[in-house]
Amino acid sequence: MAEKFIENTRVVDLQPLGAANFLLTLEAPLISRAATAGQFIQVAVPRCSVLWRRPFSINDVSTENGLVEILFQILGRGTRALAEVKRGDTLNVIGPLGNGFRVESTVRRALIVAGGLGIAPFPFLLKRLGEASIPSVVLYGVGRREQLCCVDRLRERAEVYLCTLDGSAGEQGTVVDLLEKHLRENPPIPDLHLFTCGPTPMMRKVQTIAEKHQLSGQASLETVMACGFGACVGCAVPMRHPQPGVQEYYLACKDGPVFNLEEIIIHD
Amino acid sequence: MIDLSVSIGALKLQNPVLTASGTFGYAEEFEGLIDFRLLGGIVTKTVTLDPRPGNSPPRIVELPNGMLNSIGLPNLGVERFITEKMPYLRRLGTRIIVNVAGRTGEEFVECVRRLETADGIDAYELNYSCPNVKEGGLSFSSDAHVAGRVTAAVRAVTKRPLITKLTPNVTSISDIGLACQDAGADAVSAVNTLVGMAVDIRTRRAKLATVTGGYSGPAIKPIALAKVYELARRLSIPVIGIGGICSAEDIVEFLLAGATAVQMGTVNFYEPTATVRAVEDLEKFCRAQNIFAVRTLIGAMEL
Ligand SMILES: Cc1cc2nc3c(=O)[nH]c(=O)nc-3n(C[C@H](O)[C@H](O)[C@H](O)COP(=O)(O)OP(=O)(O)OC[C@H]3O[C@@H](n4cnc5c(N)ncnc54)[C@H](O)[C@@H]3O)c2cc1C
Ligand SMILES: Cc1cc2nc3c(=O)[nH]c(=O)nc-3n(C[C@H](O)[C@H](O)[C@H](O)COP(=O)(O)O)c2cc1C
Ligand code: FES
Repeated sequence: MAEKFIENTRVVDLQPLGAANFLLTLEAPLISRAATAGQFIQVAVPRCSVLWRRPFSINDVSTENGLVEILFQILGRGTRALAEVKRGDTLNVIGPLGNGFRVESTVRRALIVAGGLGIAPFPFLLKRLGEASIPSVVLYGVGRREQLCCVDRLRERAEVYLCTLDGSAGEQGTVVDLLEKHLRENPPIPDLHLFTCGPTPMMRKVQTIAEKHQLSGQASLETVMACGFGACVGCAVPMRHPQPGVQEYYLACKDGPVFNLEEIIIHD
Repeated sequence: MIDLSVSIGALKLQNPVLTASGTFGYAEEFEGLIDFRLLGGIVTKTVTLDPRPGNSPPRIVELPNGMLNSIGLPNLGVERFITEKMPYLRRLGTRIIVNVAGRTGEEFVECVRRLETADGIDAYELNYSCPNVKEGGLSFSSDAHVAGRVTAAVRAVTKRPLITKLTPNVTSISDIGLACQDAGADAVSAVNTLVGMAVDIRTRRAKLATVTGGYSGPAIKPIALAKVYELARRLSIPVIGIGGICSAEDIVEFLLAGATAVQMGTVNFYEPTATVRAVEDLEKFCRAQNIFAVRTLIGAMEL
């Protein structure tokens, strides 16, 4: 099992990004050094009465400075409290957790499809893809312009196409529409690999499209998680090819959160 | 030097803090997070005769001060448990208690019989009480005759210490406990989860795929404490207290109410170091209170 740590991390920065999104920078030297793109951390949210830690994808790391960044949106009590931390506060964090994206040597081109906060793990992945000299295209869709996050950082590392539901930035429509259009205009080459993260209905459509075009790909899934490291067995993800009666589920936290698209059933 | 040791029949524990079944995996999940040698022992996730996949998701729900689960005892089956999990467990330098369940009394017996061939098992805990297994799982725990019969049948195939784990979802937990005691159990552990449920008012669906599930965590501590108190008053064998325990203070409460040892469960998910911290704090508490041996706290509540 990959090494994980419990660190008392220091809040270095909390930056509001448009709508209800925040970029949180933590000083977490052990985690930053061990992390790979697509892994996540479990954050104990202070001063709020939620029981479990809250999982967040690692948005980016700076190993030299021992920093870990997460991008999050306010959804409920935990994230509301997290948006109130101050510089210098201490947050207890477990990580890095799960299996990140695999960048096989056969991948020669990356197509990233992100919906909403599903953009979270991709700046880190793009850094890795860049180091491996793999050219990448990012298709990124949100509801409206204010919800776009880290677009500049994406543009430094990839060719980026945006879309919004209301047409306030990029094309009007969903990122699934954008993907279909992109594949029509750029017939997929062999060795093109998809990476996707976003709302479940979106990822299910991406899975279907990938199959239609016989594209290989990986998806980063979210499920509820009590622990995040394989202890509660609560984060079951149905296998596409189960061994009936024996093994029918993966664990999102331990076998994932990144799965090969062809291995999983994506439920709502 | 404060003596933290306690005895569960022939089983000596260096301290009273155990991990609860199903909340500590097979320990490997906690590697690097805690030093296992500091624990009183580890109770493994339930093992059954045959492999089981577990229930459909959603399997867990967070509540303000507890959680619901309907995991459904997924496990590799006893054979693979012995070959794949025991080699790791037996070298951790702490007591290993293997938790066992079956659909029938024969399955309990057969599972323990297979485990008898494995080294490094310090005791068994029979899970009579998982509310998440459909096939009459509850009859072992809600019918004193059945509980007694299964306990006696397992007793006949092992000399290792035998603990029976009881459900709180019965009219009289101590009637069941007495039946286990009479059938030769060395100790009882209590409680397993309470039956509970939660409904999503927008989708109008139950929040668990199985509709009802097991409630655990800090919220159940007062209930668990009362059950442990009842058991300790009526039984002569040791009682292991379980339910919402998060800290050394909680442990002392259970000891005073009559528990000889405790298990910590749900807290491991969000505070994986809680067990070892509790051991440390328990020692500090004893020192501050001039208590030379933790066992002097057992049942020492003033009435
Ligand atoms: C592996 C993993 C990585 C994640 N990465 C990120 C990330 O990078 N950035 C980010 O903002 N969020 C991420 N999430 C989701 C994040 O963990 C949740 O948004 C957070 O736990 C919500 O906590 P809360 O207390 O604010 O909301 P709660 O009070 O727990 O929930 C509020 C409402 O949101 C719903 N909800 C809770 N969790 C989710 C979820 N995962 N998806 C959809 N609805 C949910 C609940 O059902 C409820 O209706 C990730 C989740 C996982 C499992
Ligand atoms: C997710 C989860 C899984 C559990 N799995 C098992 C199990 O496999 N076998 C068992 O005997 N008890 C199981 N339990 C019950 C616990 O061991 C314990 O009795 C109960 O949770 C109460 O303790 P707590 O409040 O400290 O969690 C499980 C509990 C939870 C929360
Ligand atoms: S979240 Fe606990 S096992 Fe995955």
